[in-house]
This record gives sequence, C-alpha cells and structure tokens, in this order.
Amino acid sequence: MRDFILKRVAALILPFICMYGLYVIFHGHVSPGGSFAGGIIVGLSFIAFATIYGLEKGRAKLPETVLNWTESYGTLWYGIMGMVGIVKGAPFLANKLAGVSLGAPGALSSGGLISLIGLGVGIRVASTMVTLFFTMMEEEP
Amino acid sequence: MTATITANLPVFVVIAPLFVAFVLPTFARRMRLVESLVVAIEAIGLVGAGYLASIVLMQKGIPIIYSLGGWSAPWGIELEVGSLGAFFLLVVAAVSLPVALFARGNLTEEVGGKERVTRFYVLYLLLNGALAGMAVTNDLFNIFVLVEVATLSCCGLVSARNHPRAAEAAFTYLILATLGSALVLGGIGFLYIITGHLNMGFASQELGRIWQDYPHVVWMAASFMLVGFGVKSALFPLHVWLPDAHSTAPSPASAILSGLAVKGYLICLLKVLYIVFGHTLMQEFAMHRILVLLGMIAIIAGSLFALAQDELKRRLAFSTVAQVGYIILGLGLVNMKGLTGTLFYLASHAVIKSSLFLAAGAIIAATGKHRISELAGIGRKMPVTMAVFTVGSLGLVGIPLFSGFIGKWYLLLGSLDAGHILAAAVIIIGSVLCAAYLFPIIRVAYFEPVPEENWQDPGMPQKIALILLAVGVVILGVAPGPFLELASRAAIELLVIK
Repeated sequence: MRDFILKRVAALILPFICMYGLYVIFHGHVSPGGSFAGGIIVGLSFIAFATIYGLEKGRAKLPETVLNWTESYGTLWYGIMGMVGIVKGAPFLANKLAGVSLGAPGALSSGGLISLIGLGVGIRVASTMVTLFFTMMEEEP
Repeated sequence: MTATITANLPVFVVIAPLFVAFVLPTFARRMRLVESLVVAIEAIGLVGAGYLASIVLMQKGIPIIYSLGGWSAPWGIELEVGSLGAFFLLVVAAVSLPVALFARGNLTEEVGGKERVTRFYVLYLLLNGALAGMAVTNDLFNIFVLVEVATLSCCGLVSARNHPRAAEAAFTYLILATLGSALVLGGIGFLYIITGHLNMGFASQELGRIWQDYPHVVWMAASFMLVGFGVKSALFPLHVWLPDAHSTAPSPASAILSGLAVKGYLICLLKVLYIVFGHTLMQEFAMHRILVLLGMIAIIAGSLFALAQDELKRRLAFSTVAQVGYIILGLGLVNMKGLTGTLFYLASHAVIKSSLFLAAGAIIAATGKHRISELAGIGRKMPVTMAVFTVGSLGLVGIPLFSGFIGKWYLLLGSLDAGHILAAAVIIIGSVLCAAYLFPIIRVAYFEPVPEENWQDPGMPQKIALILLAVGVVILGVAPGPFLELASRAAIELLVIK
C-alpha cells in the first residue's frame, strides 16, 4: 500500500501518455515531433508502468517474444509501405505517384502514406526503447 | 511482373537483404529455415547483380538511374547503377553467397546458441544490404547512413563470438569507427555548406564552380573524408583496430569483414574523391600524392607486420592492411590503367581474402590450433581446404593465371604511366614480402611430417563454398573478360567527369 497514490495516478495518466505518443506518431507531418519522438513516448509509458508496478508486471504486459515480433515487423511495415509504390507501378516509397489521395493540406490525410510509415517506425522505436530498458534492468550485476 | 522487377532491380538489390534481415529474428527457433532463407536471398542477389551488370555492359556506359519515391535528382535520393556500381554489386553478391554457404550448419560452435546464430545472420544481411547500397547510391548523405549501418553491423559481427577478447576488439573498433563516422559526417557537412547539394553529381558541378572561393573548406572536407574512410578501411597508421577485430571474429565474419566491408568504405572514398571532387581538383590539392605515399607505406608496413605474426588469422588480417595499401596507391595514380588495376585488385582481393579466411577458419575448427608452427602436415589431412588456401595464396602473391596478377600488372603499368618508379618498385617488393609471409604456411602444411591426429576436411556446404571461391580466383585470373571490361569502363567514366 506504500505507493498507493503513485499507482493510482499512474493508472490514470499512463493510458493518456500512450495515446499522446500515438497522436505524435500519426501527426508527424503536420505538427512538431514525428514517429521517432512519438515512439519514444509510447515506449516511455510502458517503461513508467514497469518502474511503478514492478518489473514482473511490466514483463507480463510485454513479453520478450512480443517485443521481438513488434521490433521485426515494425521495421518490415516500413518496407511494405514502400512496396505500395512498386505495386502501383511507381518507384519504391512513392506516395502521390502511387495514386494515394493527399486530401486537404494540414489534414491528417495530407501526408498520404507518411503517417502509416510513421506507425511502423513508431512501433519499432517503442519496442526498442522497452527492450533496452528491460535488458539493462535484468542484466546480472 | 517481370517488367516491374527489372525496372525496380536497383532498389531491390539493396532492400531484399534488409527485408529478410527484419523477419529473421522471428524464426530464431527454426535454424534450417533461417539458413536456407539467407542462402536463397544471397543467390537471388547474385542473379540480380549479374543481370544489372549485363545490362550495364550492353548499354556501353549509360548508367541506370533510379529515383526513390519518384523525386528526381537534386531533391530526392538517386540510385545510379553505372559501371562502377554494377562492378561492386557483383563483387558483393559473388563473395557473400559462398560465405553464407560456409556459415551453414557450423556457426553454432563458434558463436553458440540458436539465438546468437540468428543474430549473426541478421547483422550479416544488414551489412550486405548496406554494401549493396554503397555500390549504387549517388547521394552523399545516403552514403553516411549506409556507412553507419555497415559499421554497426560490423561491430556486432566482431563481437558475435562469446569471448572476452572479441568484446574488447569490438569495443576498440566501435570507438575508432565512430570517430571515423563523425569525420565523414563532418566532411559531408562541409561539402553541403559550400555547394548546397547532397547529390554527388550536382555537388560536383557546384564544387567545380566555387572551389576557388573556399579553398580551406575544400581542404578540410577532403582531409576529413580521407581520414574518416581511412580509419574504417584500415589505412596503415589508422589500422590498429583491424588485426584484433578480424582475428577474433568468427571465420565467416572475418571473411566478409576483410573481403567486403573494408572494400565498401574504399568504394565510398573513391566515389567521393573521383565523382564529387573530381580528378582535377584532387590534383590541384595534391591529394593524389598523399594517396600514393600512404599506399606505399601501408604496403611495406602491413607486409612487415604480417611477417612477424605466428597466429594464422592475425597474419591474414595484417595482410589485409597491406592489400588496402595497393588499392589506395591505385587511387592516387589518377590514370586509366591505375584505376582499372585498383578496381580489379579490389575484386580479386575480396575473393582471395575471403577464401583464405574461410580456409583458415576450417583449419582452426578442425584442429583447434591457431598458430602456423603447429599446422605441420595439415595439407595431407585436409587436402581440399589446403588446396584452396594454396590457390588463394598464389592469387594474393600475384602469380600469373591467378586473379591477383592482373590487378598488380595494371597497377604496375599505371604507376609507370604516372611516372612513379618508386611506387612500381614498392608493388614488386610488396609481392615478394607477400610470398614471404604466405608460402611458409604452405611449406609447413605440405612438407613437414604428418601428425597422427584425425583431422578432416569440413562438411559438404563448407567444401562447396571453398571450391566456389577458389574457382572464382582462377576464373578472374584466366578469363577476366567482363570483369576487366566493367572495371576499365568504370575507370574511364571516373576520369571523364570534369
């Protein structure tokens, strides 16, 4: 019961931190930040969870296999988004040339594939941050 | 479908190994699948590189230009498969396939555990993609990114063996290579400040117009690049990390590091010097004299250090320092024969040194002995391995009919054309010294009493890999046709610019 306030506050705030990270990832092309910064914020929410509730509970939320998969396929997602261009007959990583509608300037959709590519980078960065944290915490002294 | 693939081939050769590298960690439990995937992607890469090279040869020097994302040159990243790019792509693919085949099934002893073996393959493919990228990219900042990817994967490969010495070597390498990266980035920054372009062609045009206004900045940029890439490619006084790193890494890693990684940085240096600065500017700033001098020192010093080593892999590692000297010397000759010789020597050394390191790895794995003096009679016990080692040694020394000869011959002609009598003498002395440190190994292996131990040649995939590389050495020596043509055409293109 010692960390009652800390745990309550964290339970209230952490979901919003995670959501904010996703917001930064998706709005990388219209607002400050981007997929890298957003990924770190998402990763931070999990790291904060593990420091407040203990390493075991944190590990239970994100087991090593899950991190392994998100790390690998997050990066692959970037490549798959690049392949959209090739499938549509345009060069690798093409955006407007691949026929993606860009919408009104300033809107979320105005980046075309950028926010989707950012999602891959964000997932990758978040899982790498969490992996680094767990690696350092679980290291034998 | 086929049309799409061929149209996008320049980018596929770079991203295909990266794609496989990304998914590999999720298959870590299924070793067979991982190994087959790696060998398959290397084989596909070889086919792709061969196809690109044949197209470039048929087009007679018109490069294939590929703009990423459809953004053309000054704004977007441009990939250019000219003679030089196709040549190096072919070298990368041709060497990395046998090395991947050699690693099949016998890495667990050296590296330990399935997870670690998978990690090794991930780094191997990342390095491969980065080297292919260095071959085709035409963008300065892209070169920096690829150099970083290659450097970090090299560090991982060096430390792949679970051994304190490997960790120490990897740490030294990490520190020095990061210093090198910082210098390269600094050099690129200087060039960008004064030219306003990152595309090599545009930067070169702009530099040709304005260099007289900023002579000191050009000096700084050139020297930053030379020292940065020099650290990474183990140019003589900056080679201190190489012997430890290359001798403690697992054998397939040593082969790829000595054979290809070092060459990748040299190709980057060549691109920066000849494409961005151009040969007139290089001569204006006396860069070519510095390169020839550094090359001569590296040849003699590397060979002398190699003579003094008794440990097999360390001797080969110091030999790499000497061979880098030849390539740097050729870069400084600034004439057609010298450049052709440098490029051909680069390819031949990539094949030869990986065959030597793989043979040494097979010997060490079978006997457990690291020292040359303990290898008496090994030639009778492991005939295939030692035959490949002998072919590689003959090639490295430069005996006619083996690949090293043609490279050295052109370098010799080039240095005589450039009027460097001393350089020509050093090339010949270097060959003699090379014979002096490689032939004793062959003598010990064949002409000393055969021991009682039960030493055997490695398994089938390893034998095939070794024989493929040895055949490569002989083919490059007997029928160098298309390779030599690509190299000489690349040399002409590099000298025509400005």
